[in-house]
Parts: sequence; C-alpha cells; structure tokens
Amino acid sequence: MNQEPITIDEQSNESSRFNQVFDKLQSREFRSTIFHTTISILMALVVAAIIMVATGYDPLSAYSALGLGALLNFDQVLWKATPLLLAGLSVALAFKCGLFNIGAEGQLYMGSIAATAVGYMFALPLGIHIIACLAIGVLAGFLYGLLPGILRAYRGAHEVVTTMMLSYAAVKFTQWLVSEGPMHNPGDSRSVSPFILETAEIGKIFGSPFLSWAFVIAFLCVPLVAFFINKTVMGYEMRAVGLNEEAARTAGIDAKKNMALALGLSGALSGLAGTVEIQSYYHRFYDGWSAGLGFDGITVAVLGRNSPWGVLGGALFFGGLKAGGSFMQTNANVPSEMVQVIQGLVVLFVAAPKLVDWLSKHGIGFASWIKNNPKSGIPSLFSFGYGILCAFLGIVAVGPAVETSFMLLLLGLLVSMGSIAIIVFNLIRDQRSSQITMLISICWFLIAIAGFTMQFVSIGTTSLILGSIGIIIAIWIIKTRPEVIQGQEGIE
Amino acid sequence: MHLEVLSIYAVELENISKTFPGGVEANKNITLRIEKGEVHGLLGENGAGKSTVMNILYGLLSPSSGKIKINDEEIVLQSPEDAISRGVGMVHQHFKLIQPLTVTENVMLGHESPGRGYNRIALLVTMLFAAFSISLFFSVMDMLSAMIVTTLFVLVIIILYKSFNILTFLLVKLQPHYDKPGVVGYLAKVFSDLFAGLRNVVSLFIPLGIDEAAERIRQIAEENGLAVDPKAKILDISVGLQQRVEIIKALYREAEVLILDEPTSVLTPQEVDELFVTLNRFRDTGKTIILITHKLREPMVLCDRISVLRDGELVGTVNRKETSPEELAKMMVGRSVVFHIEKGPATPGEIVLNVNELSIDDVRGITVVDNISFELRAGEIFGLAGVQGNGQTELIEALTGLTKPKHGQILVRGTDVTGKSPRKMREVGIAHVPEDRHKRGLILPFTIEENLALGDHYLEPYASKKAGVKGFLNLNVFKTNARRLVSDYSIKVGKLTDHANTLSGGNQQKLVVARELSSKPIILVAAQPTRGLDVGATEYIHNVLVNLRDSGVGVFLISAELDEITSLSDRIGVIFNGRLVAIKDPDTTTPEELGLLMAGHVNQTEEVIL
Repeated sequence: MNQEPITIDEQSNESSRFNQVFDKLQSREFRSTIFHTTISILMALVVAAIIMVATGYDPLSAYSALGLGALLNFDQVLWKATPLLLAGLSVALAFKCGLFNIGAEGQLYMGSIAATAVGYMFALPLGIHIIACLAIGVLAGFLYGLLPGILRAYRGAHEVVTTMMLSYAAVKFTQWLVSEGPMHNPGDSRSVSPFILETAEIGKIFGSPFLSWAFVIAFLCVPLVAFFINKTVMGYEMRAVGLNEEAARTAGIDAKKNMALALGLSGALSGLAGTVEIQSYYHRFYDGWSAGLGFDGITVAVLGRNSPWGVLGGALFFGGLKAGGSFMQTNANVPSEMVQVIQGLVVLFVAAPKLVDWLSKHGIGFASWIKNNPKSGIPSLFSFGYGILCAFLGIVAVGPAVETSFMLLLLGLLVSMGSIAIIVFNLIRDQRSSQITMLISICWFLIAIAGFTMQFVSIGTTSLILGSIGIIIAIWIIKTRPEVIQGQEGIE
Repeated sequence: MHLEVLSIYAVELENISKTFPGGVEANKNITLRIEKGEVHGLLGENGAGKSTVMNILYGLLSPSSGKIKINDEEIVLQSPEDAISRGVGMVHQHFKLIQPLTVTENVMLGHESPGRGYNRIALLVTMLFAAFSISLFFSVMDMLSAMIVTTLFVLVIIILYKSFNILTFLLVKLQPHYDKPGVVGYLAKVFSDLFAGLRNVVSLFIPLGIDEAAERIRQIAEENGLAVDPKAKILDISVGLQQRVEIIKALYREAEVLILDEPTSVLTPQEVDELFVTLNRFRDTGKTIILITHKLREPMVLCDRISVLRDGELVGTVNRKETSPEELAKMMVGRSVVFHIEKGPATPGEIVLNVNELSIDDVRGITVVDNISFELRAGEIFGLAGVQGNGQTELIEALTGLTKPKHGQILVRGTDVTGKSPRKMREVGIAHVPEDRHKRGLILPFTIEENLALGDHYLEPYASKKAGVKGFLNLNVFKTNARRLVSDYSIKVGKLTDHANTLSGGNQQKLVVARELSSKPIILVAAQPTRGLDVGATEYIHNVLVNLRDSGVGVFLISAELDEITSLSDRIGVIFNGRLVAIKDPDTTTPEELGLLMAGHVNQTEEVIL
C-alpha cells in the first residue's frame, strides 16, 4: 500500500497551534460548556442557600466565609486540589475510552501503600529514593487498574462492578497491612505504618505547612494527559474505542488491548495521587487516610467534563470548597458538611445539562406566556409560586410533629413532592396544574384534620390556611382556562 | 337547508418553515395540499426535507412558522398523540417496534385499553388478605363490631376493584353540567378534573384488554388483506410482516391519513408488489396516503400526484400522468441525471480473492453462511444480490476480519487470511465500506480529519517516532490528507475540524469511501454503498466503483437494490439462506428471475456461469 509522500509542513504547524486554541475557546461548544457549568454551580449554590435558610443558617455569611477562607489559605486550596486533580485525571482518562473507573479509591490506596513500603524499607540516596517511591506507587496503581481492565476487555466483566469491589479489597488489605500485618508500626496502638525515610519525602514549597512539590507534579500531569489523549496513537485509539467501539474495531483497532491499557493508565494516575499524598504530607500510611478522595475524583471529572484542563478547574474549585469549608465552620458557624452538600448539588446539576436547558427554555416560555395572556397567566403564576411555597413548607410545617406522628411526616413529604409537580406542570403549561393544585390542597386539609386531632394546633392552622389558598388558586385557574379541551380526559 | 363547504383537502401544510438550532434550514416555506383519497408522493434527495415536513405533520417536530390544517381545521400539534387523534398515522422507515413483544402488544402500545376479566393472581392475593383480615377482626373485636368492620372492609374492596367503572360513571354524569355557568359549572369542572386524574391513575392498575385488542387486530387485518398472527413475536417475523404490523398500528388508531416513510427500502420485489396492492386497496376505501421516497419507480407506479422537494424547498407538484422519471429526477437534483452507468467491458485479471467452502455460525450456533465458494478477479465487479438477513452481513464480517468462520478458507492473492484480525485484513489489501456508516463506518463525534485518518492512523506518515519512541501523531498530516481527500471526492464540509455528524448522509458515505480508497486496496468490499443516499450521491458512488474496477481493483458489491446490482456488476451471485444459490450473467438474466432466486425459488434447470 504505497501512498504519495505527504510532506510534513512545519511552518503551518507552528502558526496554526495558537489559532487552534483560540478557535477552540471561541467555539460554540466551549462557550456552551462554560455556560452550563457556571449555571450548574450557581444553581447548586442557590439550592444550598435555600437549605441553609430552612435549617436556620445565614447563607450570605457562609458564602463570604467560604470565599474568604479559600483566598486567605490559597496554599491549602492547592494542597487539597492535588490528589483531586490526579484522581480526576484518572477518571477522565478512563472515561475517554468509554470506561467508568470508580475504583480510583482502591488504586489510590494500593499506590500509597506500595510507596510507603519502598519509603521506609529501603534506604536509597536522596533524589533516587523519591523517584523510586513514585515509580513503585504508579506501578502499583497501574497493575491494580490493569486487572479490572483485562477482565473487562477479555471477559466482559463490567468495570463498574470490578473496580468498586477491588476498591473495597484494597482498603481492607491495606488496613490489615498496617494493623496486624507486616507494615504495622511496632509498638504503636494505632493502625499506622512506620514513617517513611526523610530521603523519600517530597519537600514543601513557599514555606507553607501544606503545599509541596506534589502540586507541581500533579499540575504537570495535566498537559501530559492532554498530550497523550490528543497527540498519540494510543490516545486516538482509546478515544475511538470510547466513542464508537464497533467502528473502531471495523477500522482495525484492537479495542480490547486499548480498554485494558486505559484502565491501567487510569489506575496509574490514581496510584500517583495516593503516592504523592503520603510522600508530601502524611509521611506514613494511616489506615483509612483517604476520606473518599477517589470518589471525589469522580465528581471532579464530571465537573471538568472529562477534559484535562477542565479537571484542573474542577479540582481547584473543589479544593477551594474544602479549604474554605473549615474557615466557614469556625467563622460563620455553618457546619463544614455544608461543603459536601454543595459538592453533591454541583454534581447533580452538572450531570444534567438537559435540566438546565429545559428549565431555561420553559422558564422563558412560561414568562412570555404570562405576559401575553395575563388573564390565564396570572393564576398560573400564583399556582407556580404556591408550588414553590408548598414544596418548602410541606416538610417544615409538619416539623413539630416529626417525632410523634409518622403519618404526618408522610403527608408532609407527599405535599412537598406533589408541589414539585405543581411547579413542573405550570412550567409546561399542562392542563393538569389545576388538578394537582386541588389535590395538594386536599392533602393540606388532611394534614389540618390530623393536626387538630393530634393537638398540634400550629400545624392545623397553617395547613388550613394553605389548603384554602390552594383551593382558591385552583378554582381561579379553572375559571380562566381559555377553552375546555376534553382531549386527554376523554370519556369512552 | 344549509350548505356545508367541505374541503377537498385532507391535509394542508401552509408556508411551513423549520430551522433547527444550529442554523440548518430544513424546510423553507413549503406549502403542500393533499387531497382526500389520493396517493401523494413526496420525492426528494436525502436532506431535502421530506422527513422533516412529515414529522411536523405527525407532531414530532414543531414548525418554526406556518400553519397546519387537518380536515379544514387549523391546529397546533403538541405531540404525535394530537396527530393520531386527528386521524394521521405514520409508518416510519426505521420501525418503532419492540422485538421481544408480540404483534398485539406492539400495536396496543401507547393506546392501551382496559379489558374484561380480572387478574387471577391479584384476586387470589386479595382473597387471602381478606380472609386473614376478617379472621383477625373476629378474633380481636366483639361480634357486632367485627361484622360491621367486615362489611365495610368488603365494601371498600369492591369499590376499589370497580373504581374505574365508578369514576367513569361519575364523569359521564358530570359531563352535561360542564358548560353551565356559575358555581355549578365551576364545581363540575373541578370535580371532573379530579375524577379524571384519579381515573388515569387507576387505569394503570387494571388488567389489559389484550384479547380484545387481538380480536380487533384480526378484524383489521382481514378487512385490509394484511394477514398477520397477532400472537407472533416481532423478532420471529419477517421484515415485510413487521411493516404490516406498523400499518396495522396506524389503522388500529383509526388513521385516515397514512404517511409512509421509505416503505420499500427493506422489502423484496415481491413484497413491494404486495404493498402496492395494499395501498391501492386503501385508496379505494377513501384513505389518503402520503408516500415519502427517493426512488423514482414507486411514485410513477403508485401515486396520483407527486411533490418534489429540493434543499428544503418545494420545487413543484405534478400529476403522475404528465411527468416521467427523467423529469422527476431533474427536479430532485437540479440537473439531468444519468441512470445507467456508462461502462466499458470488464477486463478481469488475476484472481485476487478466493473464498472456499466458507461456513459461519452465529452466536446461537445457527449456520448463517453455508458452504459458500466463489472467486473475485482484479478489475471486475462481483455483485451479490439478496434480501437482507440471508447471511450477507456475516459473510462480509468474515471477509473483513470481524468474525471467525467455522470452516473454510479465505485467500487473498494466495495468502491465507482466514480468521485474521481486521487490521491484518486491511494490511493485506482488503478495504471495507460498511453497510451501516453510522455504526461501523464513521466515528461521528470525531472530526472529519480524524475520521479520514482512521484505519491507517498508526502508520507513517500519520504517526511517527519521536526520540525513538513509536506512536506520536502528526496532526498536520491529518489535515493535509483531509484537505486532499475532501477536494478529490468533492465532499461538502464546513471546516475540516467539524464533527462528522454535521455532514449529510451522502457526504458521510463519500467520506468513508474516500478513506477506504486512500489506502490503495486490492479488494474493496462495498456493503450497501448507496443505502439512504439520494440520486446525485448514488450516481457519484457508482462512478467511483466503476473507475475502481477499471483501475484493476476487485470489487465485491453487496446490495439489496437489484437495479444497482444489475447495472454495475460484471457477474451476479444470489444469496439465500446463507447459500450461494446461483451465479448469473447480468446480460442474460432478468430482475424477475433474480427476484425469484432471492426469495428462494430455485429453477430446476439453471445455467451457472462461473
């Protein structure tokens, strides 16, 4: 198969690279991604603020403390971001090949324990010791990722199951190693390993007690992974397999080999994450030292949409959240678990760009419909507001009775969820909005009855009021409905 | 006496325009008026906008502007349900059937109705529960209270079971009060809404009227000559029968306007004739039919009037009697189209491909390719005719390394390549244009450059060594290669860095062909190369294949389009049930003979020309 020689044009290579990056930044896709990510983060912050208000905290002071904390302790932000970055890259790389590596945690542990072992068991000269530990840690992670990779590629064992299970195995195995096994620190009552030798430690930078060269290593991995994915044959083949395995196979690509290697490399990155944490900060292996860093890596990868530079952004964002979280706890009295709530909400909204699209499309449609048809629009708007109010108050109103009456709690839950239906039906201008409003009002009356019989006067009165409001709104909607179409509720 | 002016039009689409987000103008100001009881053809190339405008009529898409009138009533369609309730039914090109379910279940889907009878197991469970509860009442309470509670309990159970009928009864009673003014009317509406909602919820739990539906399907099938077994599973019946199920689905929903999207693309010539008979019968019973197609034969045979779309615009509507295939093609493409490829005689050279007694089993262990042997020479086109599903796909997979055969041999210029990997097959010189370009041919999210390099991406000059390590891509080579191929094959693209899914079907196919041919193969396996392509793109691909033949490549052409096989091939093989039943000379055989062979009727006396 001869081809005409195609000359490699060095000139165009240089000038076009800048143009390429510039074009990419300007492209519709990129702008849409930024838009969606920003909106998702904003929506998460808004919902978290609502939760804070409902539970009695002040969101404004919380967020300002969060931001301030992150800015003041920027070295902590970068330190926290380091393992997140590497774990995120790990998950993102696997995903490029169409695989879900959720066992990053386990690969992290295996990498770190291997590095710890080399760290204290062997005395090597400075410089070489560090590299040796890093290398072994990466290798351990690689092998631990290669195993489920081979199982998936050649036997079809779904990697979600195998990586998850192997993750548990790794955590337990390392636990044994440092509690009763050969790596237990002699004479210590805790489950820890001995300290690694000083020659294996990665030094801190900028005089910070937290930040070290580990961040630099992690940061360098970003362009490295990006280069691998986009500019090597293996990266190309992995992406092809991830996007369309059939077509890749038809074109001659060995899908199996690529899948196994992808998980292996993914494991290597997670292993590196574990290794640098031990070498730079902990200096020894504590049982359970990683409080879910591997899983946080998954959320970082999702936020970064599986692109290396996006993962960097995501890692910095989550690092900021974590670093600011403890500041928020001390200075605004908001529990640092709130950070995890925000984290979860961000992932929820990021993973649903369609939700964002749907909300914005229908939201705008709803708003313009109200403007054009005020007669039927205004009651609908009231119903919409009622829905939001009830979604909130459903739980809050039955609050006082939560411990004593299960039924009230259930009813409250029902009202809250049903109110979401009110919101949705109004947004899509469905006919059934009046029905649902009516139904929820009836539920409120039921709660009122139950409340009064159980001597909860406050619940009773609130529910009575809310139920009456609901009935009025529902009747108003029906009264102003443009035409009666018997379409959906057709009688046979 | 009062005059009612009835429109002669069943459906009117006025000034319909549709622009998709992203800027594609699929329909530009199209006005179509379909008369009642006519068979109206909608003709156009791929990308012309025919499916878009019909999807708008069916409620799957909403127009950017324009009016839709069904039976002289202007409406806005929110979903296919609206269209169906107004008597518009659509049979799609890709069937919307669920394979493991039966015909009845598929026809009922989305249109379920409750049936008589009860779910026996539910009844049993209820009885057991009732027995248990009643005995509990009697053991815990005194006689009198127990009896009261039991009666109430039984009443509640009966009401629950009959709730659907009770609610229906209440709704019927409320119906006349609906339009009354004042409080009465409002309350009536309020309670109707409530009861209707509850009724919808209850209807989810009551038993399905499958037997009633099956009976109705049998009736419809008989009345329209569409014999099908309501209890058969979709995966067990032929494609032609599946299409009948789709038609029955539309009739079950009492469609008066039937839209058929490319109905003959999956049928044998005989099944096409049967379909035509069915459609004629529909026309006789007063139904309106809209036939979407890009083939020219069908509208000429079947339609009363034909509308031609090109590039999203209506070129014109003509009467069948006043037009010809040539004129229609000209309207579709904008220029005169050559139907029969001018090709010189073949000059076959050495044997490049030898297939000896090849047998392949599928995953279930059933033999799908049964002892096939044939030869392919350099510089000839060997066409394989046959209805889809007779083993062609598996044969192609074996030739391209995607499946290992059970027995037999594949030799390329004497080298045994049986069971080797796809990469090895490529390296030996077999290029493959797959039959499903979306599934196997292209990686749609990849850019055009990346797709054009697929397959050879690991070789020089696409990849090279840097510092002694293999495997670095030269992306500028990707670019120059793409630039060259795009211009050589006239592929209409925006930017080379656009994703492949932005291209039209024809251009995507050109991309695949360009890529495969750029590796300078010895053998080309072309599977359904013009499937889904319009007249213009088809003409182009045919020319490419003939040129390839003339330059000494052996072309193995597999197609379900008989016209394509007969006009291009130098020799024609027919496959049926995994066997090569005949090899014919295109000059001496007829479409009828081939059609019979494709359907399995083997002549007693036949000449096999090797």
